[in-house]
Amino acid sequence: MTTTPRVALFVTCLVDLIRPRIGFASIAALEAAGCEVVVPEAQTCCGQPALNSGDRKTAEDFARRNIALLEGYDQVVVPSGSCAATIRVHYPEILEHDAAWFPRAQALAAKTFEILAYLDEVRGWKPEGVALPTTATYHDSCSGLRELGIKRQPRRLLAAIDGLELKPLAGAETCCGFGGTFCVKYPAISNSIVGEKTAAIDAAGADLLLAGDLGCLMNMAGKLHRDGSPVRAFHAVELLAGMGDGPAIGEEA
Amino acid sequence: MSGGFAERVDAALADPILKLAVERTAGTAEAKRTLAIDAFADFEAARDRAAAIKDHVIANLGGYLERFEANAVAAGAVVHWARTSQEACDIVIGLCKAAGAKSVARSKSMLGEEIGLPHALAEAGITRVETDLAEHIIQLSGERPSHIIWPAMHKTREQVSVLFKANHRDPHTEETIAAMAESARRHLREGMLAADVGICGANFLIADTGAVCTVTNEGNAELSLVPPRMQIVTAGIEKIVPSMGHAVHMLRMLARSATGAPLTQYTTFYTGPKRPGDRDGPEEMHIVLVDNGRTAMREDGLAEMLRCIRCGACMNHCVVFRQIGGHAYGGTYPGPMGAVLTPAIDGLAANRDLPNACTLNGKCQEVCPVRIPLPTLLRGWREKSWREGLEPKATRAGIGLWAWAARRPRLYRTATATALTALRLLGRTGWLSNVPLAGGWTRHRDLPKPAAESFMAQYKKGQRQ
Amino acid sequence: MTARDAILSRLGGTMTPSAIADEAAALLVAPERPPVAMTALEETFAERLALPSVAASYDRIADWSEVPEAVRRYCAANGLPVVLCLPPDPRLTALDWDGVTLHDGAAPDEDAALAIARCGVAETGSLVFETSPEAPMLPNFLALHHLVIVPTLVAHLEDAILPGAQPRAHYWVTGVSGTTDIEGTYVRGAHGPRFLHVIRLATPLKR
Repeated sequence: MTTTPRVALFVTCLVDLIRPRIGFASIAALEAAGCEVVVPEAQTCCGQPALNSGDRKTAEDFARRNIALLEGYDQVVVPSGSCAATIRVHYPEILEHDAAWFPRAQALAAKTFEILAYLDEVRGWKPEGVALPTTATYHDSCSGLRELGIKRQPRRLLAAIDGLELKPLAGAETCCGFGGTFCVKYPAISNSIVGEKTAAIDAAGADLLLAGDLGCLMNMAGKLHRDGSPVRAFHAVELLAGMGDGPAIGEEA
Repeated sequence: MSGGFAERVDAALADPILKLAVERTAGTAEAKRTLAIDAFADFEAARDRAAAIKDHVIANLGGYLERFEANAVAAGAVVHWARTSQEACDIVIGLCKAAGAKSVARSKSMLGEEIGLPHALAEAGITRVETDLAEHIIQLSGERPSHIIWPAMHKTREQVSVLFKANHRDPHTEETIAAMAESARRHLREGMLAADVGICGANFLIADTGAVCTVTNEGNAELSLVPPRMQIVTAGIEKIVPSMGHAVHMLRMLARSATGAPLTQYTTFYTGPKRPGDRDGPEEMHIVLVDNGRTAMREDGLAEMLRCIRCGACMNHCVVFRQIGGHAYGGTYPGPMGAVLTPAIDGLAANRDLPNACTLNGKCQEVCPVRIPLPTLLRGWREKSWREGLEPKATRAGIGLWAWAARRPRLYRTATATALTALRLLGRTGWLSNVPLAGGWTRHRDLPKPAAESFMAQYKKGQRQ
Repeated sequence: MTARDAILSRLGGTMTPSAIADEAAALLVAPERPPVAMTALEETFAERLALPSVAASYDRIADWSEVPEAVRRYCAANGLPVVLCLPPDPRLTALDWDGVTLHDGAAPDEDAALAIARCGVAETGSLVFETSPEAPMLPNFLALHHLVIVPTLVAHLEDAILPGAQPRAHYWVTGVSGTTDIEGTYVRGAHGPRFLHVIRLATPLKR
């Protein structure tokens, strides 16, 4: 590509508050892939908590707000499958009845991407000169997998990291039990699900757990830590940006 | 099944035997389905066709029901219509009484469970012989089905053994599953051959022949329906398919999705009562077409749910079902399809937990042979519950507060900065293990300590890590 | 208003009958199904019978006169008394059953029943039956051993559909009476046959 796209980074509320590192890794990777990255200042949340709680009116408000905020950029990139899917899949669904906003929702949806899919499929990018001699296993977060078709993209990108060996995870496509507000509304069920997930992660025998969604990562890493597992967790984009040698989720810098 | 959803879930999660039993059966079903689908070229196109067949029928349901009725009547059957479960049970009990029936043999039917037929038969003093092995087990234990294909999925072999020894006249002596099944065979055969009426559901109703299709692997439907002098079918009105050809396609999808087999062992199409000269078969065949909320579902945005062919794949693949089993759902139908159906049949107010107790991971939709958008339908119930004020006050307040702040970016930044500082005071390491108001999280897992400064604050300062 | 009218009044569609018929027919064009080579019907059918979910034994004879010997052979191989429930079908009653004890009504604990399928289906290994005065249904579900003569084969389930007026029952048998209701473990002979034996007749008798 010869032109430099002007890309808005929608950082997501969890990355903003819990792990800013993923936001900076995203900027680094996008810039390496030839993008001009802008972080719109008025962004907060995609509205998913309202959408999944049934508060349709609030979800629609957030959709309109974010459409107005983001539609002026060439593309919008999100370091989360579920937040990207909220914009790409659900904004047009919930605004279908609104003649003024529906076309705008569709237009934004068409240019909004989850970051790993964007780097791999849209930019055709691979990390260069990034080395991390360790083993990792990858969990496919549900929204990215089933709503956006993200499966091969992260594996192709991670394969370009020197020395990184990916080990298979049994049940990699099985939900980790996070489910947004589900995990605090039904904590006992969620705990039972994530317990099976972390047992599979431990059995994979890798040093690192990788995924593309911070919510799922916090759930799995929090359970691993509670149970004393040595497995450390990162968002995949942190490794791609050459930041895999820093503190993992829950480790102080 | 007492108490609310939360109590039932706690009881289920505290039961290691339940977990083991569910895992054995659902795990096997999942593996077998995967093999069958992998061996079937173009399963995705077959799912499209199956969904299209059902949508075609649902869009034209009135005409198809009339055509089915006309053909069934022409073949000698009597067709009855019931708006509610009460009307349906009244019709069945009335028929049994008119026939002077003392005992009925019943072949497993989820619709029968839905309308409360077992209870209605008991109230009428009619002996009920459940002939499906699993239904027999739960009849002995006084329970309801916990799965639509394997109603006794929650029972271990040891529990079944105790039940059979206490109830069978000539029980097994060897503690094997084969010997237990043999004990049930001896016990049930007598009841089937002596029944006055045979009652079944329908997997499909064939509009252009008036035939009723049942599928079983045990052959218990045929043994329950051929010897008695009267056959009664209770069927949901959505069970219609236009012709035998359409039924064949749906049968291919049903068997593979349910058990991974290319076809059920016994697939039977009954058209009217026995014919002159026939050696066996009932003198009378009655078909009760039951609405019980289905026309309302069609009108109220749940038409896609009427595609359901009751294969059970959604629950076999559901992470929540796999943890809590079927009884915790509290309705006739468990799992994702039950979480959509139960609020429609039994009311949303008492069942608002069902559509909420789901991670929306989409696996159920991925395996559904008729492509029911189950997560979308579950979201629809959540919206209705919110609109009708059924969601808990704390949830409404929490979402409301968050939304109020998140629509005001500057205030949001100030508020979250304060919260981050407060949260960071709760732990000395990078992990928090006990956070006030976040017990749902920290009861079971640690929370990574939030950043000292949010991404937006750091970015604004031009500070790169 | 009757329940019938109340239900039907809410189910009106907007399509004309001919449009409905056209759409229904279009939904049957080129169905996705397991491929079956017409040149390999026999082999495919035999393979399907051997699947664990069907698990039928298989014998092959040249004509109807060999049926009694095939039955004796099966009984001997399985240590069964040579006693058989035989439907009143002239294709069977006309045969020489010397040495075989016959009766036409199945007992509750019947050991073996013989039946004639209209056809076998290569796609699934299914055996297709219809009830008639000469073809009762109950013996095929009561007996422990179900012996079935298969005079002809078709490729797919669609080919087994009986056109026109239907008999009381049209049924497909694809294996034995099995259950996985206790811990998902497969047990044969849940209520009906535990053994299914297919006798493939290569040259059917003209009726």
